[in-house]
Amino acid sequence: MTLLEVRDLCSGYGSLQVLFGVSLEVGEGEVVALMGSNGAGKTTTLRTVTGLLRAMSGTVHLDGRPVTGTTPERLVSAGVVMVPEGRGMLRDLTVAENLAVGAYSVTDKLQVGASLDRVYATFPILHERREQKAGTLSGGQQQMLALGRALMASPRLMLVDEASLGLSPVMTERAFSLIAEVNRTLGVAVLIVEQNVLALDLADRAYVLEKGQVVASAEGDAVRTMQGRLRTAYLGTAV
Amino acid sequence: MSRRDLPSRVSGLALITVVLLAPAFMNVPQTAIVTSASCVALVALGLDVLVGSTGQLSLAHAALFGVGCFSALGLGTHGAPWLLAFAGAAAMTSLTAVVVGLPALRIRGLQVAIASLAFQQFAQQIPNKWDQVKFVGKTFDPPSYLAGVTSQYYLGVALVVGVLLVLAGLRRTRGGRSLLAVRDVEQRAVAFGVATGRTKLFAYAVSGAITGLGGALFALQQTSVSDTQPFILRESLLLVAIVVVGGARSPIGILIAAFATKAVPGLLAPQFGSGIQLLIPVILAGVLVLSVVLQPEGIGGVLRGLRDELGAVTERPVPRPLATDPVLAAARARSLREVPRPLTQRLPVPALLVASQVSVRYGGVVALADVDLEVRRNEIVGLIGANGAGKSTLFNAVSGLAPTTGSITYRGRELLTAPAAGRSARGVARTFQDMGLVRAETVRENVLLAQGWMAQYPAVTGMLALGAAVSTERELRHRADQALELFGLEHLADERLGDLPYGTMRIVEIAAAVASGPDLLMLDEASAGLTPEEAHALGDRFRALRDELGLTLVVIEHHVPLIADTCDYCYCLESGALIAEGTPAQVTAQPRVVESFLGRGTLEPVG
Amino acid sequence: MLSALVLGLAYASAYSMLALAVVLIYSGTRVLSLAVGEIGAFGLYAGLWSHDNGLLGVRPPVFAAALVAMLIGGVLGLVVERLVMRPLLGRPALDSLVATLAVALFLALLELKLYGLDPFPAPSPVGDGSVEIGGATLTVTEMTLLGLAAVVALGLWLFLTRTSFGLATRATTSDPTVARLLGVPVNRVYVFSWGVAGLLSGAAAALLANLTGSLTPFSLTSALLSALAGAVIGGLDSLGGAVVGSLAVGLVNGIVGSRVDPTTSAGVIFVAVLVVLVVRPRGLLGSARVAA
Repeated sequence: MTLLEVRDLCSGYGSLQVLFGVSLEVGEGEVVALMGSNGAGKTTTLRTVTGLLRAMSGTVHLDGRPVTGTTPERLVSAGVVMVPEGRGMLRDLTVAENLAVGAYSVTDKLQVGASLDRVYATFPILHERREQKAGTLSGGQQQMLALGRALMASPRLMLVDEASLGLSPVMTERAFSLIAEVNRTLGVAVLIVEQNVLALDLADRAYVLEKGQVVASAEGDAVRTMQGRLRTAYLGTAV
Repeated sequence: MSRRDLPSRVSGLALITVVLLAPAFMNVPQTAIVTSASCVALVALGLDVLVGSTGQLSLAHAALFGVGCFSALGLGTHGAPWLLAFAGAAAMTSLTAVVVGLPALRIRGLQVAIASLAFQQFAQQIPNKWDQVKFVGKTFDPPSYLAGVTSQYYLGVALVVGVLLVLAGLRRTRGGRSLLAVRDVEQRAVAFGVATGRTKLFAYAVSGAITGLGGALFALQQTSVSDTQPFILRESLLLVAIVVVGGARSPIGILIAAFATKAVPGLLAPQFGSGIQLLIPVILAGVLVLSVVLQPEGIGGVLRGLRDELGAVTERPVPRPLATDPVLAAARARSLREVPRPLTQRLPVPALLVASQVSVRYGGVVALADVDLEVRRNEIVGLIGANGAGKSTLFNAVSGLAPTTGSITYRGRELLTAPAAGRSARGVARTFQDMGLVRAETVRENVLLAQGWMAQYPAVTGMLALGAAVSTERELRHRADQALELFGLEHLADERLGDLPYGTMRIVEIAAAVASGPDLLMLDEASAGLTPEEAHALGDRFRALRDELGLTLVVIEHHVPLIADTCDYCYCLESGALIAEGTPAQVTAQPRVVESFLGRGTLEPVG
Repeated sequence: MLSALVLGLAYASAYSMLALAVVLIYSGTRVLSLAVGEIGAFGLYAGLWSHDNGLLGVRPPVFAAALVAMLIGGVLGLVVERLVMRPLLGRPALDSLVATLAVALFLALLELKLYGLDPFPAPSPVGDGSVEIGGATLTVTEMTLLGLAAVVALGLWLFLTRTSFGLATRATTSDPTVARLLGVPVNRVYVFSWGVAGLLSGAAAALLANLTGSLTPFSLTSALLSALAGAVIGGLDSLGGAVVGSLAVGLVNGIVGSRVDPTTSAGVIFVAVLVVLVVRPRGLLGSARVAA
């Protein structure tokens, strides 16, 4: 069943239009990758879906209900959490406080406690550093905190904006496998927005964005083919 | 052109007539009211140098007005001739303003305003102590030719006109451009060779001098001051209101707002009763609230809108660069290489830029780790890597905008130990990923800003249009136009930068960087915002800059084909570390590079 | 000497309440509000006017006037947030500062127009009683101020560090966009900050006006600015810093101002601000981000 459905989304900043009719879907429990280079409109898509940016036209549906032009707060309550680009640390707050803010929309104290235990179990280093200010963590630790913090809201869908940003390949791989694990064990659907082809390893479905339009999409085994093609396309023009 | 000018010429002429003949139609108290309003107008114009042009908020200008007034009185009552009293008042106020502005050297924005507030609170108390001792019974007797209200009126007009001219001079020359750079791109202004701290203090000094003149005129008019109401906190806030409602950097708007606030209530009082004197400021404050929310450009913005409306007969030029042959254009622009740089800094050296063990850290995040690289003269060097790999950070390290350790030498001399503002003079120019120019200014002014280090005249002489400033400015303007021609932008020279499409702004930024006469040109994602055709054409331009102008380029690029066919050498960064170097073909063939950096290839739609 | 000290402390307490109002708004919205003084003063004018002239045939007691001041202050805070500050979100900090200045100017000039230049007598909302301790006379107003300021400071500290909405407020301070994405209702944080700041301003106005004997337009703005000087010295985004700084400024104003003269005390404060901002821009206890 379709969890998130984006139809013909157009959006931009002021008079500068960036998206020209983007359509994509994320099913329940699926991992979907939205690939594209810098400036292709990946982040703009996420910002419009979450309501940080107003859509010029087009629609966004969650569970078949329209949520176009919603606020990020309401979307979080509806089970959609974004892991912002650059990890979005609340730098002046401690690790524990960052996690607590992640659970802000959850009223059930028991549930919060359970989420916290789970996050600390998944990322022991966060427990170790819980009193440390988030701004002083290393890049990899910040990525864990960003993921853990999103999980605190017990989401059904996570929107992950460039998890690989500024991470080494080893750390990028770690980040991706964490995302895959979250998806597998908790059944959380994930929309990964990436320029790194490795993201396709975990994707059930993928889209390629170029100049604000979806220029390619693939599902199931075709995703592997797409990964191959993206690599060759890259090498083909570069050499 | 002339049709556009006609309405403004007619209205200008009408305005001059009204101003010159006005005293004939006003009685003595009315004339005096208008003159004291011009004192306030002068102070407001002085305040605008800070608020409008430099982006520094002062809440102490009423107190500075007082400093000017009492300085002039102090000198005048002790027998100094009026000219000396005026000059002394300007100097004293200027000095005081600089002291009040000192914290601006260390901090930006809001807290500077608080320091000025503390000064206001302090200074407004002083006259209470002094009054009886120093000024009672003494008067500032002007010479007979300045004793009458009419002659004082004309002196006021002359001062306002003089200040307007000086401000126009400031705007057109080095000083004014530095102020704007500090206002809009503060941290990046050093890339244009603008020393931020000194520029701010210069703004305080100019602002203070103009304010001091307003105070001196007030002293002359009042001959002795019994009432300190004009110098209290409320008036400081009102002055800010006048500037904001009038419109930042819009002298005419500010004059209108000043006279509406300070002259109109007094002139209308006889007809409408004194209630109006309290009502008009309330209305002004209400308008101020609305204006901040709805019309940030104030009366000046409204006037500009009207003028554009009236002048809409002329057609807007095509907002994109004109197609020019890159090689021919570059060959024609060879004189851009003639820059006033000592011979020792022009000698050919094999390695122009050498970075060794360069690291940059922000908090716990390592943005750049022990990077070694070399840029050879007259080459195009590509810098590739995924988002966040540290490419722009490397540029920031070279231009002095990041906390850097290690060593970066340029022409064999260490850069890191020298002040950042000196780098453009040494021949290092750059563009920013998200545009480091002043959007509110014209294309030409932005190019002139980038050429700042070549304007080696004191900012004050530029303001007063003295000496070498005039000829230097003329040459720099010529040079700027040449640089614009090089990129097919000459038809856009007078357009406001912010009105242009993003891609064109980026080209303007490159033109500005080239105009600054660099040997090393660092371009951060020059192809962003361009159409694929334009991006492709960029490669030819890069080569023309290298071959015809002899520049050395370092380009950060995501557009891989561009790297592949223009770069002589290429470095790849990943998580702040260098992972590959060599020719573009060698680098892009390495599996590690492929893993870490997926550029935009020519994708064919799948399935 | 003791009574001068207590008077100084009372001033300092009133200043610290104003400083706390400023810090509350600053931590929620990163806006330095110059309006929170006049907002309370405007409320107090209305309260005192109704005390003098009666409202619907009833003359409310002075204590009620103080409550009216707090109530109107709170409501005005909400109105200003919604109508003026909200549309300015995302605009440069200078615009917001000028907007709050505009609000202060508007309210003060409106007071001038409505109630005239003559100072409004400001009786104490808590009565004129006093006690004698060790040869010094302490008025009930002074003691109320001391107690109230302590309660407010403690309450605000507990709020920010112990409650979930306090955490939301601090998250908003740190990065409003990220906070929103995590489900923090940032608009509610803004509304709350301005509302509570308005209440505080009203209370501070009622007590401070009695301390100085009367209420005039701009008097509260003037006090606020002294408090702000204190907050800057102490560190703008630090609750403790703001309290310590504004207490110091209040003490200087109360003691030097009454023992020597107001000019000297204002001069001391100006020099202190200048030195602190040049030597340690973030303030004595503030975090590095204040200076950025």
